[in-house]
Amino acid sequence: MNLENRKYVIIAFILFIASVYAFRLFYMQVIDDTWVLRAQEIAEKRKEVVPPRGIILDRYGKKVVSNKTYYNLMMVEEKFGVLDTIAFAKLINWSPLEVRKRFDEIKEKEGYYVNKRTNKKTSNYQKSRAYPFLKELSLDEITKIALKLDEFPGFYEEVASMRSYPFSNSANILGYLNEATRKEIDLDRYYKPGSNLGRSGIERYYEKELRGRKGIKYIVTSATNNAIESYANGKYDTTAQQGQSLTLGLDILLQEYGEKLMQNKRGCIVAIEPSTGEILCLVSSPSYDPNLLVGRKNISLNYPQLLKMEGLPLFPRPLQSEYPPGSIFKLVQSLIGLQEGVIQSNSSFVCNKGLVGCHNHPTAQSVSEAVQYSCNPYFYAVTKKIIQQQKSKNINSDAEIGLNLWHKYMTSFGLGIKLGTDISGEKPGLIPNSIYYDKWYGKNNWSFSTISSNSIGQGEVKLTPLQMANIAVIIANKGWYYAPHFVKSIGGKGPHKKFTVKNITMVEQKNFDPVVEGMRRVVNEAGGTGKLARLTDIVVCGKTGTVQNPHGEDHSCFIAFAPMINPKICVAVFVENAGAGGTWAAPIASLIIEKYLKQTVNAEREKSILEKHINYVKVP
Amino acid sequence: MRKSNSLLTHIDWPLLASFFVLLFFGIATVYSVSFSEEHPNVFSLSEKYGKQMIWLGISLFLGLIIFLIDASIYVKYALLFYSATIVMLIIVLFMPPINGARAWIGIGSMGIQPAEFAKISTSLLLAKYISELIIKQQTIKTVLYAVGILFLPSILVAAQPDAGTLIVFSSFLFVLYREGLTFDPIILRLLNSFRGLKFKSTWIGSHFIPVLFVFLLLFAVTLKLNDSVFELWFFPNIKINGVLFIVLILATLSILSIVFFRVFSTKRDRPKILLVIILGFLILSSLVFFVNTTFNHLAKHQKNRIELVLGMKEDPNGNDYNRNRAMAAVGSGGLTGKGYKKASVSSVRSNHVPESETDFIFCPFAEEWGFGGSIVLILVYLFMVLRILFIAERQRSIFIRVYAYCVAMILFYHFAINIGMNIGLAPVIGIPLPFFSYGGSSVISFSIMIFLLLKLDSNRMDVLR
Repeated sequence: MNLENRKYVIIAFILFIASVYAFRLFYMQVIDDTWVLRAQEIAEKRKEVVPPRGIILDRYGKKVVSNKTYYNLMMVEEKFGVLDTIAFAKLINWSPLEVRKRFDEIKEKEGYYVNKRTNKKTSNYQKSRAYPFLKELSLDEITKIALKLDEFPGFYEEVASMRSYPFSNSANILGYLNEATRKEIDLDRYYKPGSNLGRSGIERYYEKELRGRKGIKYIVTSATNNAIESYANGKYDTTAQQGQSLTLGLDILLQEYGEKLMQNKRGCIVAIEPSTGEILCLVSSPSYDPNLLVGRKNISLNYPQLLKMEGLPLFPRPLQSEYPPGSIFKLVQSLIGLQEGVIQSNSSFVCNKGLVGCHNHPTAQSVSEAVQYSCNPYFYAVTKKIIQQQKSKNINSDAEIGLNLWHKYMTSFGLGIKLGTDISGEKPGLIPNSIYYDKWYGKNNWSFSTISSNSIGQGEVKLTPLQMANIAVIIANKGWYYAPHFVKSIGGKGPHKKFTVKNITMVEQKNFDPVVEGMRRVVNEAGGTGKLARLTDIVVCGKTGTVQNPHGEDHSCFIAFAPMINPKICVAVFVENAGAGGTWAAPIASLIIEKYLKQTVNAEREKSILEKHINYVKVP
Repeated sequence: MRKSNSLLTHIDWPLLASFFVLLFFGIATVYSVSFSEEHPNVFSLSEKYGKQMIWLGISLFLGLIIFLIDASIYVKYALLFYSATIVMLIIVLFMPPINGARAWIGIGSMGIQPAEFAKISTSLLLAKYISELIIKQQTIKTVLYAVGILFLPSILVAAQPDAGTLIVFSSFLFVLYREGLTFDPIILRLLNSFRGLKFKSTWIGSHFIPVLFVFLLLFAVTLKLNDSVFELWFFPNIKINGVLFIVLILATLSILSIVFFRVFSTKRDRPKILLVIILGFLILSSLVFFVNTTFNHLAKHQKNRIELVLGMKEDPNGNDYNRNRAMAAVGSGGLTGKGYKKASVSSVRSNHVPESETDFIFCPFAEEWGFGGSIVLILVYLFMVLRILFIAERQRSIFIRVYAYCVAMILFYHFAINIGMNIGLAPVIGIPLPFFSYGGSSVISFSIMIFLLLKLDSNRMDVLR
């Protein structure tokens, strides 16, 4: 029996265990990543820091949209211990049943996934994770709860931010935020259940700029789920960046004033700074207080009501309502006529009421006078000359050539196409071309006489109020415009690229002069249709429009710019079912001009106008 | 003068060096894992590293004393040391329990764990006893005496209860095996009482270590197949459980070996072999039944723990919490680790791995230093244990050799079980990692163990019995 050799049994045993351990460690630490993932699951949390959205300022730097702080009551089920549901329900002033329902709701909302390994349907809900139990609480509400929150482990308060509108107006411009839908979350990983995104208006169009950049923090958490330190000294962290602030071209006080003027009326006011295309105000009436659509609670309460409310306050009229323009269309017709050379500035046409109805006025001796008197037969004749230029012997194909030329002019004025403003949902209006009428009447089956209503802005043509205001811009600029837009500057770096492109119309500068003179006369000369828009120390140039409406009272329409030399503001006012343009829309436009240029208005004049408006009766 | 000279020249520097390397790794890891911003000084006594520094100081001071004391007293007073620790192990049973075990003597944090010191005194007494034993003349009495030396402290430790130390006491079986201690006197007495049997020796009696492994393997297989159901291909409709399946396999093996030996053995040996095989089959089968029945009657938490180690169950957030977190910490270390003081799972601050400064201290080390660090640590321990075996084998004195073997096997057990539970290869049993884990009794007793060995080894030229 050689005992000496037994040491080899022991050494072999030791070496065997040691090498098993070495291989096992190599497998665990180097080859297999199961435990790395497990460690991440246990000890590392990826925490997203959502920055507050960018704020929105008006042209003078007044805060139009800001953020306000609110509180969420968060819960982590794992830490509940024994939850006294009854006492907790009492604290938040709910019934225990509601509390239990809310728990189920939270779990249900998280959805399920199918575990690929076990093929089991598993809930996304995790007991160790934090979920908002109550959302969007005010400081008052949370303080009441927070006092006793120590008694309920697993519940804590969290600060978040929400939109706030200090001016309670321009709702249709600004839009509102709403929780991202499942589909939106799937499309863009930026969003998580419960995150907000711009649902309409500026908030939607500039969503990417406003939302900023999320910060991501990797933190090491302890066994009790408390954050203890940042992971790897924050090497992989990114800081959150607040969204860029937007400066609007909007004058919020002008907007406020405009909304006041349009109270109890349906219609819109659009004001644009001609030299830049910046929208100074854009009133859609009736409107609503944007604060009504802040937060989940408010939205679910108010949105359905607003949707059904008479006058459709959610409908952004200036961009989406397409109206026949009426007499303001005559301005464009004169410009095209002059440019085409079918009329001269001193052309005269007899007011032949046999062609088309008119009111009593002296015969127009020039384009300017025709504009001044808004003579229907005059523009009937002008438009006929544009459409029927005798370029073809066949009257029908001649009309086709003429109409398509006319359509080209109109397109260069931004009519019949979307102007491309920075709120989505804008409508193009309608400027018919030959294809349009071929569809209606058949090819070579129509001529000017078929479509003559268009010459005075009735018939098939339709414009949005934004396009109407843009006509004033083009005339004020004498031939060009920037696409009207709301945002003057993104984060201090100027507007969106596309708003720096000058659009030049097909009408030369010199041909604008007679039209501008005509518009001056409309307001400032005896016999002008818009004399109610006259201001004592500002030369307002305007054009009235009374839009015949088969469904009721005529729509009242007025476009204007002022002052005549070096214009600063262009306005379009459209009041539905209000009657003549001169009586209703013109004074409103003049108040807007006065307010913008002088910051104050002549109180007496304002009073007399407003008093008249009190008697205004809406026609359904 | 002559003595101190011989100490310096004869001291085993490689062992001493590996000892200091481990001490250094240990305190560095304790410092990292329980680091506190408020008390960054490694000597700040309010923190665990400060206390550990004191234990290290005491250990080195005791080492110095051991070097100065004449080594012969350990032979002379071995029984006295042994008796003293036995008395302490009895006293400790009357102390108030801490964490469910009566393991501490003393007040509060300043107590000592006699079980740690019992390992040393048992080693000494065992060494003394075996060195005085004439190995070729073993009787039932000598065997029982040797087993008794181990059995007495084991029972007392088990009574605390301290399963970890109990298991560590089984490491002495390796020492007995090395020294040629045999259970034959007892086995032969039982076996030869059968009429007509006249065995002179049994393989089992002296080679109990390999036998033990067969038993352990059978244990594990039995437990693993506890809930399994088998369908035999030749009896498609009969389902049998795991135990019967194992017995069936054992029976098949027995029959095969009977056939084998019928062909290859002499006629004279056949009855003997047949008897051995049948006895073996009966013993193993009854063992399987015994293990199975015991397992099914175990308390639920004990059963759970066994099932978790064998991978029969997953319960990462419940019963398997510690092991799961520990393995996540170790595994997440990767190839090169997360860096010193950067353990995220196993730091005391994050507290995912409980006891990460004591029983689970390998976790933060492996998490911070990765596979590179872990393999270095394993190699250092391996070097230390093998070096001690080398020291053991060069002794002229059986006493020192036995003692050295005891030390080597105790260290190896601690190493294997402690690291094994961190990597999912051993059940979670609370025993410290030598020189590493925070704790006075453990650091001091392991240091004494090594210093005693160094002292005894330095005297190897003197003929010590």
